[in-house]
Amino acid sequence: MKLVTAIIKPFKLEDVKAALEGQGVHGLTVSEASGFGRQKGHTEVYRGAEYTVDLVPKVRLEIVLEDEVVEDVVAAIVSAAQTGKIGDGKVWVIPVDTVVRVRTGERGSEAL
Amino acid sequence: MSVEAQDYASARTEVARRPGLTGPGRRAALTALTDEWLTGVFARATASVSDPFCLVAVGGYGRGELTIGSDLDLLLLHKAGAAEATRAAEALWYPIWDSGVKLDHSVRTVSEARRLAADDIKVLLGLLDARVVAGDPALAEQLQGAVLGDWRAMADRRLPGLHELVTARRARFGEASQLLEPDLKESYGGLRDATILKGIAASWVTDVPHVGWQDSVDFLLDVRDALHRVSGRSGDRLVMQEQSAVAVELVGVDDPDALLRAVLDSARSIAYASDVTWHRVDRLARSRQRTAFRPLRRRTPNRLPLADGVVMQDGEAVLALEAHPATDDGLLLRAGAAAAQAGLPLSPHTVDRLAIEGAEPSVPWSRSVRESFVALLGAGPNMVRVWEALDQAGIIGRLIPGWDVVRSAPQRNALHTYTVDRHLVETAVQASALTRNVDRPDLLLVGALLHDIGKARGGDHSEVGARIAADLAARMGFDEDDVRIIVTLVRHHLLLPDTATRRDLDDPDVIAEVAAIAGSVDVLDLLHELTIADSLATGPTVSTDWRFSLINDLADRVRGAMAGRPVPEPPELTEQQRVALAQSGVWVLMDVLDTTCVVTVAAPDRVGLLALVAGVLSLNRLNVLAARVTTVGDRAVQEWTVRPAFGDPPSIEQLSDDVRRAVDGTYDVAQRLARRDADYAVTPPGGYPDPQVIVTGGGSRGTTVVEVRAHDAPGLLHTVTTAVAAADASIVSAKVSTLGADAIDVFFVTDAEGQPLSEDRMAALRVTVLSSLR
Repeated sequence: MKLVTAIIKPFKLEDVKAALEGQGVHGLTVSEASGFGRQKGHTEVYRGAEYTVDLVPKVRLEIVLEDEVVEDVVAAIVSAAQTGKIGDGKVWVIPVDTVVRVRTGERGSEAL
Repeated sequence: MSVEAQDYASARTEVARRPGLTGPGRRAALTALTDEWLTGVFARATASVSDPFCLVAVGGYGRGELTIGSDLDLLLLHKAGAAEATRAAEALWYPIWDSGVKLDHSVRTVSEARRLAADDIKVLLGLLDARVVAGDPALAEQLQGAVLGDWRAMADRRLPGLHELVTARRARFGEASQLLEPDLKESYGGLRDATILKGIAASWVTDVPHVGWQDSVDFLLDVRDALHRVSGRSGDRLVMQEQSAVAVELVGVDDPDALLRAVLDSARSIAYASDVTWHRVDRLARSRQRTAFRPLRRRTPNRLPLADGVVMQDGEAVLALEAHPATDDGLLLRAGAAAAQAGLPLSPHTVDRLAIEGAEPSVPWSRSVRESFVALLGAGPNMVRVWEALDQAGIIGRLIPGWDVVRSAPQRNALHTYTVDRHLVETAVQASALTRNVDRPDLLLVGALLHDIGKARGGDHSEVGARIAADLAARMGFDEDDVRIIVTLVRHHLLLPDTATRRDLDDPDVIAEVAAIAGSVDVLDLLHELTIADSLATGPTVSTDWRFSLINDLADRVRGAMAGRPVPEPPELTEQQRVALAQSGVWVLMDVLDTTCVVTVAAPDRVGLLALVAGVLSLNRLNVLAARVTTVGDRAVQEWTVRPAFGDPPSIEQLSDDVRRAVDGTYDVAQRLARRDADYAVTPPGGYPDPQVIVTGGGSRGTTVVEVRAHDAPGLLHTVTTAVAAADASIVSAKVSTLGADAIDVFFVTDAEGQPLSEDRMAALRVTVLSSLR
């Protein structure tokens, strides 16, 4: 099993959710995140006062998947989240030892 | 044959699950079963002792309000020595612990229990409900007699402390009647307040309302029973997740909204009985203080005027003796606004009188009525209790047709904390802190109050609400342009958050779309501040920095796409001013209209003239609603729309004499104002947003524009214009407006040579004006 984490632009959440449903993914965790990558921050003028936005608001998605579907799901996220401009985000995949469903105690693939 | 622990546990479960039992029946059965079991346990535990013991149920068990989740609150009274008491107590408590029932226990002699009750008011309230379960009733009677006697003797000293506890609990658990997930016991208006009401009644200190809340207590107990049964836990918070199941359990119908409305109504009636009772208690406490300590010279007079027909008395706003609620149709909202702005409650008697006799404002509302309404809305957190009192008396429902639909209306949505009506009130409270960021505080506050008025009716609440808001805004007497803005605010109150979180802010089309809907920077600012107030009033999930940063980013981009804010235009001359311009010397005219007067002044222009006239008006107790000032050549013409703060306006002779003497220097305006301020004893509660002063160049006809946004106060305009004069800037023209409790003043100024101010002088002027306002 793998944990797929995606950092995307907030407004792309609906598109990515639709794409994931198309891939048969029905559960995911969404959280508000902020940070920066190569995009860095930018300078804004708000009510006359200049201030630097060094953390850009993003959405963070986490999904645990069977190994064999990971590639397709990652491809679906990337194509749904892409605008081609800087700040589109990142997706990464890490291995997962086990998963337990709290309600039933099921483990491994059963719990997905 | 006694009931054993095992049997008790299973019998208790059986009673809890037995179908067909109503709430009171089930509580009685559970109490009887528990009594029977404990009688047996008590008999065995005290079989070998000779001294008298008595087992007493206190708190909820004492009142017979057991549910499946309740603790047993027990007190073992004795006369014996410590060793023997301990032995008997252990023999008594162990079987109860073994049964798995939660136990709250104590072992005391009568005098110990009495002493503890004297120190701890919670213990005392528990003992007031004491009931003998087993043993020697003489001990219990002795204790009850003593505790009740003590309570009656010291209640007047202990009640203020109890009120503090209630206030602290109210702050922590909220008001049950306005929460979507109320705590049936601890929230204000919950079961604990009912117990306290009974305690106050038993103290004989004051009367407690008899009707209206007893049924509510029984209903809340039933709901709590059902909640404990379906959740299998003893928590008293009616969480959304359980509301469906509780409704089914209680009435057999899956209608969580009906359940919640009934719970909120019940809590409201208990809260109202509590409000009335605490009000009486506090009044008694204050009157005792006065008789106990009477200073030689009264520091503050008994009745201080707050507004026309409204005075402060004993820490409350009440109607003045000469007030006529039946004929004075502005009084209702004026009283509410005056109380809220002064941070005082409206006295319950005044509320009753306004509800019964008070004339409703004629429709459309006059300017004065509308100003009062906006001043009430803009009073900040102080407004809530005034609003609640007026609402409780049915006055809000009469003033705002359709309000009753949202009153106590539940909203099934994980983001919200409050019922719809309380959310609207809370949004207005939040908006009152943001009024400096917009140029129309009145529209922001009314938009905040109405933004969700379309809820609880089905359909898209923004669309439905926009239609209702159009009618209401017109009813409030707003002109067509303002009605249109209020409608835009209601219809599009979700535009910014929805766009910011779901659309690509880098897409110029998205920005252009929002810009087109807002139409102007002013409306965009209003939408922006309304969004922030709405989020803060909704709950923590939608007021995160993350979400605000997206919303602010969007608003900034849209502001950037719009051509920026137009520089304000100086006012054109009115007909009246043209007439005034033709006169020579100092010339004053006053037209008395329905509730306002128009004062026109023409005089040779000089630095500080505006400050002098503003001061004279303030000294004549005339509140400035609006003003237009223009200088033509060496003559200044000023047109003032004013309203007498109290009673009738001054005579034209007096006013014009005052103005002449002020101009020729024989009437010291500044000194008289200072003396008046010193005598003006009602200090406002503060907590208003800080004043804002914006100085920009590029005004038309070569002027510099000074915009001042501040909380309105007597003499404000005099203060500001004096500061402008002190900075050596002369006012060429000015537009002044008071919107509710906020003043928005725009001055067009030049230096002594008639040139726009330099950058340095602009900065200095801003600092001077700002510091005059602090």
